[in-house]
Parts: sequence; C-alpha cells; structure tokens
Amino acid sequence: MNNEEILTNVRRIIGEMCPLGAREAGPDERIMEDLGYDSMAVVELALVLEAEFELEPIEEEQAIDLVTVRDVAELVEHMVSARA
Amino acid sequence: MTIAGDLPGVVSDITETQDVRPDLMPTSQDLYYRWERQQWSVAALDLADDTAAWTRLRPFYRTELLNALTELEVGEVTVVETLSSLVDRAPTDDDRIYLSTQLADEGRHVRFFQTYLRQAAGISGEGLADSADYTNHFAPELRRVTRAVWAEDDRASWYRAVVYYHLITEGVLAATALRTTRQLARRLPLPALVEGLTNVTRDESRHVAFGMLAARDGVGAGYGGPVLESYLHGLDLAARVLVGPLRKQAVPAVRTALGIRAAQLRGGFDIARDRAMRQLSHIGLPEAVPEAGAVWDRALERALDAYAEHWNTPHPVRAAGALSKGEDTR
Repeated sequence: MNNEEILTNVRRIIGEMCPLGAREAGPDERIMEDLGYDSMAVVELALVLEAEFELEPIEEEQAIDLVTVRDVAELVEHMVSARA
Repeated sequence: MTIAGDLPGVVSDITETQDVRPDLMPTSQDLYYRWERQQWSVAALDLADDTAAWTRLRPFYRTELLNALTELEVGEVTVVETLSSLVDRAPTDDDRIYLSTQLADEGRHVRFFQTYLRQAAGISGEGLADSADYTNHFAPELRRVTRAVWAEDDRASWYRAVVYYHLITEGVLAATALRTTRQLARRLPLPALVEGLTNVTRDESRHVAFGMLAARDGVGAGYGGPVLESYLHGLDLAARVLVGPLRKQAVPAVRTALGIRAAQLRGGFDIARDRAMRQLSHIGLPEAVPEAGAVWDRALERALDAYAEHWNTPHPVRAAGALSKGEDTR
C-alpha cells in the first residue's frame, strides 16, 4: 500500500468514525477541533487503525501531537514502512 | 427542606461531593427521610433509545461499558447478599431502620443492572460474575467480615464490616466506577443508562454518608484500631479490583494513543485514591492518611505486576511508563 492509498484509507476511517456523524474528512482537518474527536475517540481510532493496517509498536516512535488527518496518515505511513 | 441531592439532574458524583463538617453530617434518621424523597423506579426507565444505540456501538466502547457494568452488577449482587447482618446488629434503631432502606436500594440496583444488561445490551447475566475482579478479589472478604458480624456478635465486627461494605466497596470502588461509567454513557449517549446511573449514584451517596457517620462514631467510641486495620486491608484489595489483573486492556500501538489511554486509566486510579484518603480524614483518622496512601500505592503496583504476569504484557499504565503518585493532601 503506497502513501496515497494510506492517506485515502485513513481519511475514510476517520470520516466514518467521526463523533459528529459520518462525513468526508479532509487531510488538513483537525481531528479534535474540526471533527469532534475527544480522547476516548482518539484511542478508539488508534485501535481501529492498528487493526486495519496491522500496526505494531515501533521503538523509535515518540508520542507526537496528532492534530490533523494528514498527521495521522503520516504516522501510519511511518509505522507501515518500519514494519516492512 | 430541599437539598441539592434531592433535585433531578443535579446529582453530584460521590467522588465530587465536598466534605461535610462533622457537626453537619446527616444522622441515620436524616438519611431515612432523604430516602423517602429520592425514590425511583427501574420499570419507569425507557430503554428504547439505548437498545438501538447498543446495536451501533463499536467494539471498543462496547467492551468498556460491558466491563464496567459487569463489575457494578456483580458488586451490587454481592452487597444485597451481605447486608443483612449489618441491619440485624445495627447499634441503634435509627441505624437499623435506615439500613433497611438501603437493603431495598441494593435490590433495586441489582434489578436495574440486570434489566439494563439483558434488555438494552442484550447480555444474559449468566456467568458474568466468574470473570469479575470484584468477585475474585473483594467479595470473599466482604462475605467473611459480614458473616463474622453474626458469629462474633460484637461491635468491633460490625464496624469492620461497615468499612469493607460502605467505605471501600461503595465509597471507593462503586463511587469511582459510577463516575467513569456515567461519563462514558453521557458521551455516547445512552440516556437510560445515564438516568439509571444517576439514580444509583444518588442512592450510593446516602449509603456512603451512613458509612462515614457509622465509622466516625466507631472511631469516637474506641474502635479506631479495627476500623483502620480493616480500611488498610480493604484498600489493598480495592486497588487490585480497580486495576483488574483479569481484565484485558487494549494497549494501543500508537504511542500518543497509549499515553491518552494510560492517562484515562490512571485518572480512575487517582479518583479512587483521592476518595479513599478523604474518607479516612472524614471518619476521624487523618493521621493515618500517609500510611493508607503508601498501602494503596504498593497495592496498585502489585496489581500491575499481577496484570503483566497474567497477560504476559504490561498494563497500559505501565506500558506508557506514566504511573504517577497522588498526593496526600487531605
């Protein structure tokens, strides 16, 4: 899966799980401020992304601020490439 | 007189209520009349919206809610089965009359949780107790100390049982679980669950008030030793129930989410710890707070060890490396 496909799928998942109701999630939309995610929803999103992309913890990953949809997609890309 | 706790919609969580000056604490007779004003009905709850919502719940929330509701249901069943010796051996007639109202409350709580799980969540109550941490870690001790009230027939046994029952099971464990579960039910939203948990919280506030009143009387009457000994042992067990070594927690691979998850869980631990320390001061044993805090912290660490041993993976709080210590400030 290339980075564009990852971004497309991340946008789909974030849009489907949006606490404000299913919608299309733009890459620069902010997860919390624009899409209504709270901390519980972010944890749930992470678990769904892990299942979808078969993500595993990576040693060098630091806790970062996941502000936008694109931030999430880039993290997924990083974790997928680290796994490969 | 109308008090805030009587008004629908303004029920504070037990863990959020302000400490009451000892001379302003309600008597058992006051608590009886409060019970008369605060009646509610399981049958009157409309579960239709919740039933529909449960069919749409995603696995994460479903698991979170079922774990919480299972522990609450199992706890309520246990307290129904163990209150009678406290009623029978109550120190005064007013205490006995008040405790009789509590027995009715506990029965209603069991009916509420079982009805909700069956009708809204579509879960049979069968087998729920087997995997509950309360069943495995706390209920055996509660049964032992409440049976001892019959067997030993002395005042010290009664005060010991009040500590395990009212102060630890209700004042620490149920208070924490009700607060966190009610918050989750509000955000989903599950209106009947919010309403039911609000009613249960209101009832539990009376129960905990009675427990603090009774324990404070016990300390004043020279039973401080058995009260404190029971309290410290009860805290040791309660920390284990709260961590839940038998309950598998989701451990997010994404570190940011893991940190959030750990903070959520640690928030529950902190609520319980804070509540436990405040109660101790409130019943007249403020000098024991540092020791109780140390007991709690050690028990929490041991429970996290037990989790890691049981599941062969660290608890999210350990995985995030973020277990913080609370402050003994009260």
